[in-house]
Amino acid sequence: MQISPHIGSQLVDLCSALLLLTCFAIVAQRRLSACVDLFALQSVFLVLTAALVAFLTGNRHIYIAAALTGVIKVVIIPRVLKKVIERLNVKRELVMNVNVPAGLLICGALVMLAFFITQPIIPLGFLLTRDSLAIALAIVLIGFFTMIARQKAVTQLVGFLVMENGLFLGATAATYGMPLIVELGVFFDVLIAALIAGIYTNRLQDAFDNVDTNHLTTLKE
Amino acid sequence: MIAVLVLLIAPLLAGGLSLIVHRSALLHAINLTSMSLLVGAEIMITRTVLKDGPFTALEQFVYLDALSAFILFIIGAVGLACSFYMRSYMDDQVARGVIAPTRLNLFFFLFHMFLLAMVIATVANSVGVQWVAIEATTLATTFLIAFWRRRESLEAGWKYLILCSVGISLALFGVVLTYYSSLHVLGDVSEALNVTQLLPVAGQLNPHVLKLAFIFILVGYGTKVGLVPMHSWLPEAYTEAPAPVAAMLAGVLEIVAVYAILRMKMIVDHAVSPAFTGGLLALLGFASFVTAAFFILIQHNYKRLFAYSSIEHMGIAMIGFGVGGSLGAFGGLFHLLNHAFAKSMAFFAAGNIHRRFHTVEIGQVQGLALAQPWTAMALMIAGLALSALPPFASFVSEVQIVTALAAQGVPGQWLSNSGGMVTVAFSNRFTSLSLTGLFLLCSVLAFSGLLYRITGMVWGTPPEGIVRGEAWTLGHLPIIVLAAALVGFGFFLPQPIRQLLEEATRIILVH
Repeated sequence: MQISPHIGSQLVDLCSALLLLTCFAIVAQRRLSACVDLFALQSVFLVLTAALVAFLTGNRHIYIAAALTGVIKVVIIPRVLKKVIERLNVKRELVMNVNVPAGLLICGALVMLAFFITQPIIPLGFLLTRDSLAIALAIVLIGFFTMIARQKAVTQLVGFLVMENGLFLGATAATYGMPLIVELGVFFDVLIAALIAGIYTNRLQDAFDNVDTNHLTTLKE
Repeated sequence: MIAVLVLLIAPLLAGGLSLIVHRSALLHAINLTSMSLLVGAEIMITRTVLKDGPFTALEQFVYLDALSAFILFIIGAVGLACSFYMRSYMDDQVARGVIAPTRLNLFFFLFHMFLLAMVIATVANSVGVQWVAIEATTLATTFLIAFWRRRESLEAGWKYLILCSVGISLALFGVVLTYYSSLHVLGDVSEALNVTQLLPVAGQLNPHVLKLAFIFILVGYGTKVGLVPMHSWLPEAYTEAPAPVAAMLAGVLEIVAVYAILRMKMIVDHAVSPAFTGGLLALLGFASFVTAAFFILIQHNYKRLFAYSSIEHMGIAMIGFGVGGSLGAFGGLFHLLNHAFAKSMAFFAAGNIHRRFHTVEIGQVQGLALAQPWTAMALMIAGLALSALPPFASFVSEVQIVTALAAQGVPGQWLSNSGGMVTVAFSNRFTSLSLTGLFLLCSVLAFSGLLYRITGMVWGTPPEGIVRGEAWTLGHLPIIVLAAALVGFGFFLPQPIRQLLEEATRIILVH
């Protein structure tokens, strides 16, 4: 089956846009478990994007990366996070540093900022995936913002994972994947980081009876 | 080539063995053997590099030149000192029942993985592999920082994990951008992130992309170095971590992160003018130096005091690299070495004090000279060296940096190039003089803050109930050796180290 490059490029753009859309959904969501579900959904879109790029360009090693994303970010990490949430006594994000409407507005501004920053370097990219670099940066920035705006350890972790998704989209879209050894290493690091953070959340829960990072102020000056 | 293999396999093997061995004496023996092998391999590599120049090994996976050999030297020296210190420190903690003997396995396993990750980050040819290794250091050390499992240590560990992981993610974006620019020149090959491939073609890479990449990488690895404003994890982590871990974090990990920034700077400098990268480094350096100098004045906790002093010294080194020129770069590298020695010694002393006085409050520690004479001496020497007084080597390196600053000023071209956003234009001469003045003022602040606190701890009479006298242990050996090196390097730098430093300076400056 042959797909014309034009349609291919449109499809990749569509998938990247869906990734960005789930970011907004995560920012707007208060329930912790729904945040994790949305992250899993975002990872599904990421797998689709990567598979699409792999199919359109014929780069075999992107399939490997896509499969790993599927296993790690769609199955393992959401399950770990769900287990963590089950142990917690808080199901919802109660106090937010930034409320939802303001958060969404800021995210909109972040998307514009991302397009602004990447403007001069986008024409260098491959035709197929040109705009994805800007979207990737936008996702990284929104993930970053989520970590600042939310207080629950789980939501902060989801923010971190969203950043990672953005980075992976950037690597896949802008450069058709990093060298395989680097990609494997990155997957390994993300997986371990998520597991460690899960263990931490449990220990914090035991030590503080609460995983609100706002309580982590013992060491303030 | 055997040396390179030893470098990678020794920590890996030692880590694996640490998990299955149960006797503490054996664990320490494995640790010391592995560290000694590491130092031996390091010496062989230095000799090869100095004789034959840079080389690659293991199918281009490893790239070694004078700069990475120099960083390896610091890893080896401080690591070996830590291993000796740990022999008495950890046994004491086990004997006092602070940690269960079974948890020693975990400690040593994580310690070896930490070392392995740092070695890989230093020898890796690919910028991508280097990123993976630096993120791995975060993961290995987060449980080491939270090793006491108190509420405060959990808090410090969590903060460290989250802040550093996020920072490092930004650096990954920088690596992706670097790859994005190198693809157009080198093609879609897996070697397109290798330093050996990037450096020859660096002049052809797209400057816009590289500028953006460098900013992301500087912020990312800068978090790991603890540069202001990304430093907020650092005082907590250094306070809560067990003393040998704090010594490794302050003495080695920061320097590996600086090394990663320098590697990137070398590549970017070919495509963009060095004034761009230099200006950014000097900016962050000054921010760290000035902030830390003031925070040093208000500390009541001696571990936090040393943590802020770390931020201060990393800032000074960054100013050295930012100002550049052979004097600035040499001073920066030399300062890294001096800081590594002085700071690990300071944390060894801090560990001893904490075990005797059971407090981290400066006000509650008095009469150290009577209670623990050896430790008091170590603390004094480390404190004097950290305040950069003569005759210590850090005095020499700070003078080199401030001379370079006064003579050359901070490269400011990036200010006028950044789209007219900064319109205030100082005359170059004036800026360089006022910055030199600021530098000297902050040095005096840091000097007085540090020495005032330390002398307060050393003199006086110990509080009631504190045992006087200090028995000689193996843990005192590294303190003596490091003290000798700190004084000795100020007068006379041994030929191999001097040559290594000069070669490394040439590598940083090459255009």
